[in-house]
Amino acid sequence: MTLTCIMLALLFAGGSAWRAENHWQGSAKWLALIALALLATVFAVFVMSASNDFAQLQVLSRVSWIESFNIEYSIALDQLSIVLITLTWLLAIICVLVSWYEIQSNVGFYYFNLLLTIAGIIGVFVAVDMFLFFFFWEVMLLPMTAIIAIWGHENRQFAALKFFIFTQVSSLLMLVAIIGTGYFHLMQTGQLSFYYPDWLLLDIPLSISQYLMFGFFIAFAVKLPSVPVHSWLPDAHTQAPTAGSVLLAGVLLKTGAYGLIRFVIFLFPQASLQFAPIAATLAVVSIVYGAKMAFAQQDFKRLVAYSSISHMGFVMLALFAFNSTAYQGAIVTLVAHGLSSAALFSLAGMIYQRIHSRNLTDMGGFWQSAPRMGGFALAFAGAAFGLPGLANFIGEFFSLVGAFQVMPAFTIIAALGLIGSAIYGMVLFQTSFQGAAKQDIIDLQLRELLICGSLLLMLLAIGLYPTLLLKFSFGV
Amino acid sequence: MAIASNTQALFTMSMVAAILPQLIVAFGATLALLLVAWRRSQRTIAIFTSVVLGMSLLVNMRLLTMPAMQVTQLLKVDGYSSFAFSLILISALVALRMSHSFLKAHTEVHDEYYLLLLLMVLGGGVLVTSDHYASLFLGFELLSISLVGLVGYHRESVYSVESGFKYLILSATASSFMLLGIAFIYSVTGNMSFSAAIPNVIYHQQGLGVFFQLGLLLFVSGIVFKLSIAPFHFWTPDVYQGSPTPVTMLMATVSKVAMFVVLLQCIVAQRYLLLENFQLFLLSFAITSMLLGNVMALKQQHLKRLLAYSSIAHMGYLLIVIIVASAQGLAFTWQSTLFYLAAYIVANLSIFMVIALLQLQGNNGLYQEDITRDDLHGLFWRTPSYALLMILGLLSLAGIPLTMGFIGKFYILTQATLAHAWWLIATLIVGSGIALGYYLPLIFKMFEGRSKASDKTKATLGPKVGRRIDKLLVYSFILLGLVLGILPDIINQFIG
Repeated sequence: MTLTCIMLALLFAGGSAWRAENHWQGSAKWLALIALALLATVFAVFVMSASNDFAQLQVLSRVSWIESFNIEYSIALDQLSIVLITLTWLLAIICVLVSWYEIQSNVGFYYFNLLLTIAGIIGVFVAVDMFLFFFFWEVMLLPMTAIIAIWGHENRQFAALKFFIFTQVSSLLMLVAIIGTGYFHLMQTGQLSFYYPDWLLLDIPLSISQYLMFGFFIAFAVKLPSVPVHSWLPDAHTQAPTAGSVLLAGVLLKTGAYGLIRFVIFLFPQASLQFAPIAATLAVVSIVYGAKMAFAQQDFKRLVAYSSISHMGFVMLALFAFNSTAYQGAIVTLVAHGLSSAALFSLAGMIYQRIHSRNLTDMGGFWQSAPRMGGFALAFAGAAFGLPGLANFIGEFFSLVGAFQVMPAFTIIAALGLIGSAIYGMVLFQTSFQGAAKQDIIDLQLRELLICGSLLLMLLAIGLYPTLLLKFSFGV
Repeated sequence: MAIASNTQALFTMSMVAAILPQLIVAFGATLALLLVAWRRSQRTIAIFTSVVLGMSLLVNMRLLTMPAMQVTQLLKVDGYSSFAFSLILISALVALRMSHSFLKAHTEVHDEYYLLLLLMVLGGGVLVTSDHYASLFLGFELLSISLVGLVGYHRESVYSVESGFKYLILSATASSFMLLGIAFIYSVTGNMSFSAAIPNVIYHQQGLGVFFQLGLLLFVSGIVFKLSIAPFHFWTPDVYQGSPTPVTMLMATVSKVAMFVVLLQCIVAQRYLLLENFQLFLLSFAITSMLLGNVMALKQQHLKRLLAYSSIAHMGYLLIVIIVASAQGLAFTWQSTLFYLAAYIVANLSIFMVIALLQLQGNNGLYQEDITRDDLHGLFWRTPSYALLMILGLLSLAGIPLTMGFIGKFYILTQATLAHAWWLIATLIVGSGIALGYYLPLIFKMFEGRSKASDKTKATLGPKVGRRIDKLLVYSFILLGLVLGILPDIINQFIG
């Protein structure tokens, strides 16, 4: 109930921010910020005070929705979704902060879309009726596309279109798989059901489940993204406004990983096991290819975008290793990458605001005029290439250690990605902050310090005390 | 014939009750003629027509839950046909409202227009209830001929003659094909009723079987012409573009619903699907329509043309339901078809309503014939309600959740998945992917530019005070689209 109210409240806050901006200029961002902070607190209090044991999936509410298909409105929480929702709240607040001055046109509508996306993402993480899951999956997509298409950079409509088509087509495949599984349930038990806990009880023969799994896998692989269905990502990330990139990299990609965990691996364990070699190959190719491509980019945001592909490859490799160490590593990587890529995209946004370019050739020597920014940039680049002491290191280390026990050959090649990430990380830092000063920029302001500081703090906290996350079992 | 000799025994009061909605429309059409003789006033006849349609709709609503009933050999009224007729009446009412403002923008009194509209609705009403090839042909002709009159109605328009003639000639050809097909079928089976039991042997009999199948193909080609399914779609873009927008609206809604329902009725009753050749034909129609419609729509600038191509694709999607229909799941087939049609109609009415309103407000209040993509520029910031309605309509056509179109697509995908029609599913997915390539840019176009909250021009561009009904219609359709998209059970209870 509380969760439903939170989602509705987000929708309502978005609507009122939109209205309010028309009457009082500048009120939308405050409203959005306050609403997010308030609702995040409500969520935290709700989870803390709940008597449930979230190690297992706890169904919170079940209401009949579309009776002709036996579709329900049912939501549930477990440790995995709680962690990801917490990440969503943090990044949502960061998003509002980074858009503070960046968004100048149609401000009210912007915050409406932002809050709607957040509501959709939370819906994705809590829905346990598959139809409802699909519903939220698309609901988060629409406002996100609007954010890219309306407030993005020069080539925004193309990027938004590409993003939407990739996701939509792949999710139609998932829809077919959902329908297929629902009707398989009908065949086996005599009742049509889209209810996830019901599905977990199904015993699907491998000959059918491999196809069903594949339908789900494609949708999540596009979202994750994995080579060869990654090509929407560099465009979408580059063209989106800063908050859009932060949200995309920070949370939206995680919905893909979340889907892989919950609806591919847990639902079709046998089929996934059979599919593991292919998935691992794709993962390794993503890691190496992402790192290689990142190195070749001239565009700050594009570079970070390709690095995301590389990092998400580690997640996929770890997930398909079927090893609890790797699994925990994958989840730490998810959180760590959410924070670090959000940080890098925020930095890109800050630089863009100062020099109106994302091109690395226009940058250089910023350290002299903006040492604080340089310090943060170094730290975040360090996080991205897995510097010990920061969260990403823990994630990648655990992923690789876990995966090595199962498929050593893949893991060895994947580890090359670490070298690659060090190279592009340093390229990123050196070309922008070192060398001859091309222009003077203003150093970080209080608001920006707050953004960077909080992100770095969290990266450090997880990096130095990983038990924060590792103490949870995440359903294994 | 048997019907004529003992009418008393065959026709009872309960039958009258069952076809009362159609009778009201027929009676209304006659009265309208008298009304024209008595007093020529646009206002009067518009009000009169809407009262007739409204009454018919009210009576029809009552029939939705009634058990099926055979009304003579010709007609059969059941929940499905009543639901389809409700859709027709609702579309006609909306089109009537749009026509009224459209006709007011031109001088002259236009009584005939309303008469034709009533006749067309009557044709649709006969079609959806027909259970016999004779009534089918009657309804078909009634609908086509009045539509021909409507298509060429706007004489001052540059497109009027072209589109009128195109439609007249092709439509006449299609109906003669159909008639020939019916004759062939009759010559083999000796019965024109849908519910006649035809022995399976006939389908495969040497000589006769081929003749029968040829008849079937001719018959179906007449119907799919009206449904603008490829390869019988060539008239669609020109006629959609050239007709007055309210007429295009009628063509996209009334005509499509009536034709599709009667096609399904006929095919289901006659078990034609048992014929492999026939299924193959439908399959190729569906696949070409889905791909061709979507691909051709990609580069269209003119909105009505674009929608014409998209309608080709949508009819292709809907044809899937017929192809995968099986004897066990007939109720579900009907449910899917009617839901999809309902979704399609709500979406089309929304979009055409916006187009019609934009035409009226066109160049500084002057009527604007062509609405292209560029006219949508910044619509969301100028008149948010129009843009919202249009966006909902487009999203519904694209099949995105929150809209009815998604539920409709869900139905189709479910049907196809149950029948393991993987190739059709693949084409559907590819088609929807291509379709996003033109729906989304339209939506993006509406968001271009910036909002000027303080700008005073907003007030004058918005709907004028005198257009309260339009405004009400726009808001109610926004609400309708959203509510039915989130709670589809409201519709399911009528067709379940």
